[in-house]
Amino acid sequence: MSNTISGKNLLRPTGLQCKNLQEYLKSRPPEVLNKLYHNPPICLAVFRELPVIAKHYVMRLLFVEQPVPQAVIASWCSKLHFEEHQKVVLILNELNVWKEASIPGGLPGWILNTTFKKNLKIVLLGGGKPWTMSNQLEIDSKPRDVAFLDSYALERWECVLHYMVGSQQQEGISADAVRILLHAGLMKRDEADGSPVITQAGFQFLLLETALQVWYFILQYLDTIEARGLDLVECLTFLFQLNFSTLGKDYSTEGMSEGLLTFLQHLREFGLVYQRKRKAGRFYPTRLALNIATGQNKPLSRDPEKEGYIVVETNYRVYAYTNSNLQVALLGLFCEMLYRFPNLVVSILTRDSVRQALKSGITAAQIVGYLQQHAHSKMIEAGPPILPPTIVDQIKLWENERNRFIFSEGVLYSQFLSQTDFEVLRDHALSTGVLIWQSERKRTMVVTKAGHDDVKKFWKRYSKGSS
Amino acid sequence: MFKMSNEIETSLLIIVLDVNPVQRIIKQETRILTQCLDSTIVFANAHLMQSSNNQLAVIACHSDGAKFLYPCEKPVEIRQIDGQYEKFTMVERTVRQQLQQVINEISLDKPLNGESLISGALTMALCYVARLEREKIAGEKIYSRILVITASNDSATQYMNYMNIFFTAQKMGIILDVCSLDQELTLLQQGCDITGGNYLKVPQLSGLLQYLLWIFLPDPNVRSKLVLPPPVKVDYRAACFCHQELIDIGYVCSICLSIFCKFSPICTTCHTVFKMPGPIPIKMKKKKKTIDIVH
Repeated sequence: MSNTISGKNLLRPTGLQCKNLQEYLKSRPPEVLNKLYHNPPICLAVFRELPVIAKHYVMRLLFVEQPVPQAVIASWCSKLHFEEHQKVVLILNELNVWKEASIPGGLPGWILNTTFKKNLKIVLLGGGKPWTMSNQLEIDSKPRDVAFLDSYALERWECVLHYMVGSQQQEGISADAVRILLHAGLMKRDEADGSPVITQAGFQFLLLETALQVWYFILQYLDTIEARGLDLVECLTFLFQLNFSTLGKDYSTEGMSEGLLTFLQHLREFGLVYQRKRKAGRFYPTRLALNIATGQNKPLSRDPEKEGYIVVETNYRVYAYTNSNLQVALLGLFCEMLYRFPNLVVSILTRDSVRQALKSGITAAQIVGYLQQHAHSKMIEAGPPILPPTIVDQIKLWENERNRFIFSEGVLYSQFLSQTDFEVLRDHALSTGVLIWQSERKRTMVVTKAGHDDVKKFWKRYSKGSS
Repeated sequence: MFKMSNEIETSLLIIVLDVNPVQRIIKQETRILTQCLDSTIVFANAHLMQSSNNQLAVIACHSDGAKFLYPCEKPVEIRQIDGQYEKFTMVERTVRQQLQQVINEISLDKPLNGESLISGALTMALCYVARLEREKIAGEKIYSRILVITASNDSATQYMNYMNIFFTAQKMGIILDVCSLDQELTLLQQGCDITGGNYLKVPQLSGLLQYLLWIFLPDPNVRSKLVLPPPVKVDYRAACFCHQELIDIGYVCSICLSIFCKFSPICTTCHTVFKMPGPIPIKMKKKKKTIDIVH
């Protein structure tokens, strides 16, 4: 009598979930977290990603050796912002940055995690062991400057992106990288010939800004790291050492373990580090590796390569000053191309072109985000707002057009033998609050999936009693 | 899901450190200067630790001049020797090296002056901010503040300079914080009040770092959310232009608003000639005026 209707719908876009550092660490078991806190660079990265008030608390507690009463800490934050205080307390607890401790008087207090405190102090004041990559090096005979590193990193990274959109412009990427793309669900094997093709999530990934792309990619890579026989803690530590390194400076590979050297080669492939030769003994971090975990506070980007190239006008025209096929292909996801010149592409945003993008799972926010992120400096100077508000609103309206349905998963009950049977069951479902929809005339009703078991049991009891 | 904005927020902290060797507390106990320097460097690094976008500048001043300690024109090449973050090691070394130079350059031929050129250092800081504002990239926002750490007395001889600095800072949206190590500083206190910064006379020198981290580390936009010591009542007395003394009641030039503690027939600032004050001429004038109105 009952049929299950699958509520998994096709229309609703499945957003690409990119965790920030905090969420990533929270999802790790506490033992791993504590192991990570033994490394000064990770403590610094965790500290930087804390909310501002949490940073203030940690700074004030950094040089305090005994537990501090919770009431005292609460009094540091103004009463008007008590909610924020509670949020901060929760985050610090979850990240295991501090823990509860009772004070000799019996009052509940907090004390900073000793490992975290010790290593944060090392970062700030010095002491402890030097980071693995800081061995002395002789002066490089052919030093690389920042401009070279920037163009190198961009070229390597675009290689991955080009591969994803399937353009034949560039050389291929390694099997390892392909495996990560497949694992991340950014690409999938084509059913016909088994070659990787881009997925919905992949398109969304392409529209992210480079820093976020790299971080998302690295997160996916870290997921597979243990399967490769590498040590997660070691690799994460190294990643954050890179994060806090100086652009344009060379670092030594001396004293690195076999696993780390493999990891370094992977990073090299994606353009996070530059090495002249595999056995060069030195490497240069690139801009991609710097500030890798700063999801919210974007790093400064003064490099000309990343300069914005898109101009959006109120007449829905989009001018892109570029000759990169990748950038043109990305624009083509949600714009209709009109003309192409050597250094300029003219396209137009139409309802159809935007709907096409929305259908493939891209959200309006992502389109607006992409346009904004790559806006030409002239647009930024004229702003804010950077983009014409009418365009932004219209794109959002086009998206809302498609969201007129609300989907809820449920179970259909139909073909009741009598009206009373139907009414009894319907009233029961209504009283327990699991009824989604009913039609008296058709003797049909839908209950939520969670309520299905209960309604089924009730029906069995009822039909036994009446027969 | 993602915060997408082109806005880059930079928080710039400029520390003005008074290194005048004739400050009272330093004369009593020379170690204090080292202790203050240590605290200041840790505090500076703590500021850089908050965010990768934070920027720092340190200026030292003494009785003869002021000089940038950090950033330095020729950065020192360093490799890590311990677990400290490279950038912090660099700040520490640069500041110490440069300060050594500054102290070596203080000439011993002239008698040392007890008054530090804080106003000079502040002006340099303002110029530095102005330059960064000019050079910033599109979409970047710089929030600047200046912190003065001093143990010397603020003398009224720099009154005019101070007032110009305070109002310029206010106009540029720069916040001025003052941390006094020895005595209450009435003039700089006014500056804090005008620009919306914090003023603190450190009650215990041994806890300097903790005070700095507590009161001066949070960014101004976070300060409203935190409980900080309540502002003290600001002494708004002005200094007279003739003797540089703080006065309650004085004479003000009606043309240029210069302040004098005693009456002088010619304004020394704008050279306006005043009539001698006397009760009779005023009465006469009043009479004449009323007649004028009648006609």
